[in-house]
Amino acid sequence: MSGLTMLVPRRPSQARAGYGFFALDGIGLVVFVAGPALLAIAIGLFDVDGFGKVEFVGLDNYRLMARDQLLWKSFGITATYVALFVPLAFVVSLCLALLTRRDYPGVGLVRTALFLPNVISLVVVGVLWKFLLTDKTGAVSSILAPFGLGDVSWLSDTALALPTLVLISVWFLMGYQMLIFLAGLQDIPQDLYDAATVDGANYWQRFWSVTWPALRPTSFFVLVTSLVNAATGVLAFDLIYVTTQGGPANATSTVIYYAYQQAFLYGRFGYAAAISAMIVAALIVVTGALFAATRGGAIR
Amino acid sequence: MSEPPRNPRGAAPPLLTRRAALGGLTALGLGSLGTGALTSCAPSNADELAFWNFIGPGGTSQEQSDWIQRLAAAWNADHRPKVRLRYVPNADYLNGPTLQTAFSANHGPDVFMLSPGDFLRYHNAGVLADLTPYLNATVRADYLPGALDSRTFEGRVYGLPMESEPLALFYSTEAFERAGLSAADVPRTWDQLLDVADKLTTARRFGLVVETNPGYYQNFTWYPFMWMGGGSPLAADQRRSTFDSKATVAALRLWQEAINRGLAPGRPQGSGGNDSISNLAAGYCAMQQVGIWAIGEIAELAPDFRYGVAPLPVPEGGEELTCAGGWALCANAKGRDPDAAARFVAWALGGSDAACIERSRQWNTKVKMTIPVRDSVRRAAQRQGDFENPAYRLFVDRIAPKAVGEPRYPVEIYRTISDTLQACQLDNADPAASAAQATEAIDTFLSTYDGAPIQ
Repeated sequence: MSGLTMLVPRRPSQARAGYGFFALDGIGLVVFVAGPALLAIAIGLFDVDGFGKVEFVGLDNYRLMARDQLLWKSFGITATYVALFVPLAFVVSLCLALLTRRDYPGVGLVRTALFLPNVISLVVVGVLWKFLLTDKTGAVSSILAPFGLGDVSWLSDTALALPTLVLISVWFLMGYQMLIFLAGLQDIPQDLYDAATVDGANYWQRFWSVTWPALRPTSFFVLVTSLVNAATGVLAFDLIYVTTQGGPANATSTVIYYAYQQAFLYGRFGYAAAISAMIVAALIVVTGALFAATRGGAIR
Repeated sequence: MSEPPRNPRGAAPPLLTRRAALGGLTALGLGSLGTGALTSCAPSNADELAFWNFIGPGGTSQEQSDWIQRLAAAWNADHRPKVRLRYVPNADYLNGPTLQTAFSANHGPDVFMLSPGDFLRYHNAGVLADLTPYLNATVRADYLPGALDSRTFEGRVYGLPMESEPLALFYSTEAFERAGLSAADVPRTWDQLLDVADKLTTARRFGLVVETNPGYYQNFTWYPFMWMGGGSPLAADQRRSTFDSKATVAALRLWQEAINRGLAPGRPQGSGGNDSISNLAAGYCAMQQVGIWAIGEIAELAPDFRYGVAPLPVPEGGEELTCAGGWALCANAKGRDPDAAARFVAWALGGSDAACIERSRQWNTKVKMTIPVRDSVRRAAQRQGDFENPAYRLFVDRIAPKAVGEPRYPVEIYRTISDTLQACQLDNADPAASAAQATEAIDTFLSTYDGAPIQ
């Protein structure tokens, strides 16, 4: 009951203030998230060509999805991107946080340098890496040429393009996630480490017995946000748009990029809306499962 | 009526219940959406014609940018409503969402540029104004044979072409010399194309550049290779697909081999395979399949670069031909003032007065260096000796006469060809199996297609 008590303000003025604070986010959510989301579900039931044609087609768009091989391929690409990106970004940023948690000379500079990619626009990041990864003449090819890797086509080889984008995404996001982990690490009482040390625990034992369990809520937050970011294309879309445009041979066409192509390049807005609705449904299932599996990141 | 609920502590209920607050927010949100929808219907300035293009002001080519600004200024000097130019960068105009988004929001430009490849999508949606009433019979007869075909439906004209832009093979003279090759070694067959590209490929340069970015442009550049051996996506009656043919499979295999053997990059530089400056002139490749516009580009942006031009190589027993694109001006039938927009387009390119002829001559032969599509413009250019540049002369005399206009396939056919081409070129898919699969997909689409004739 204590939770309920907290939700009910004691005085009308407090209620007004509370709803006032809520209104700022609430209006934004309704106008920019809930409204368009409901609209997208509705549009998914129509044939909308982008030139004014709106014709009710029921579930035809959803039936079309079932036999659209490129769509299923794009779901597969998205799943691969998520499967590669989420754990890699998690491990890299946690390692960086552990390496930079202690105060030593220059640690501020190191943290700043690691966080720096995150303050650059993703479009600029895409252009930068596109330039660095130019076949034959790019900086990466030039550096790797002595090792026989000068002819590797990082962004136009169907086997390498997606992993390359994953690495760029990790490079971009690792500084941000590192900061989240650093905040989590600072919340762990020093007493626990001292007690573990007195008990004779070595570094790994302290990590697995103290750090890892105490970081569970932070880890849950990092996992959920990076999962949602990866699946919805918050990171990947900009990179793909700038560097590969879904290519080579649709090898980097994630489902969000595919929906974008359907709507804005081919004028199939109804179909794109139906795809978007499916993505949201899939995300609800995945994040719900993650929430249930980790009990919301609660410390046991 | 039920009594209002009390909170557990018996305090006075809050002034706003959660339900009321959420209801209010929803109404506010929907209201905002509604207001937005209403304002989006209102014209921003009814006294102007919005003319969207990828030329200027502020485009990559100063000369082209100046030309289009002169065009707008000439109209604005003694016509109303005035024309207002809006520059959309080339890559966005070709493969980006800007134009489509504008039409989706009912804010499409009054005048815009359209390629033949995208014609049917806009025409079938009813957004292309009929320009026929604004053209006199003399002017229509002045257009060279075939020039209006891809912009015509049932005898009505829906776009006026600015130019014809055939594709050819450009090569770096310096790269040839360094490889011990001469003009006599310029490839004439597909086998020679791969062999010569192999000789020209070095650790820091590709022998050849063909387009690899998916899109209308890539299809446009691949079509001539398909046609040379007699291939076509559609039968003459347009009721079934003939994409699964020996000629098509050979053309798919040629582009695949160029990539697989490391002779061509998987990703051209700059804006792509249409960019002669970032690829050929920059030394990234020794040969490049590109259009006639490269002559003007190189003259303006890399004037010291030495190059040669040759017709596209042909397969054994094939026919020498190429594909010619070219942008057209169109008027938006659902715009703010379709009549004025159509008048502007007809005035800009479809007039019989000396100023219009000269304007087109300047664009075709001085500014962009493309092939004129009107007989009067061509004759004026010949009188002025405009075709003296050897590369330009080769296009006019030999390449352009063998050019086939860019087809206007519906997006479903275009996309099927694009996916097939991408899969074979960059994902090593089997050309024969891919062609068979594409034929099936095109046949499925044709069985339900009821739009304008495709070719």
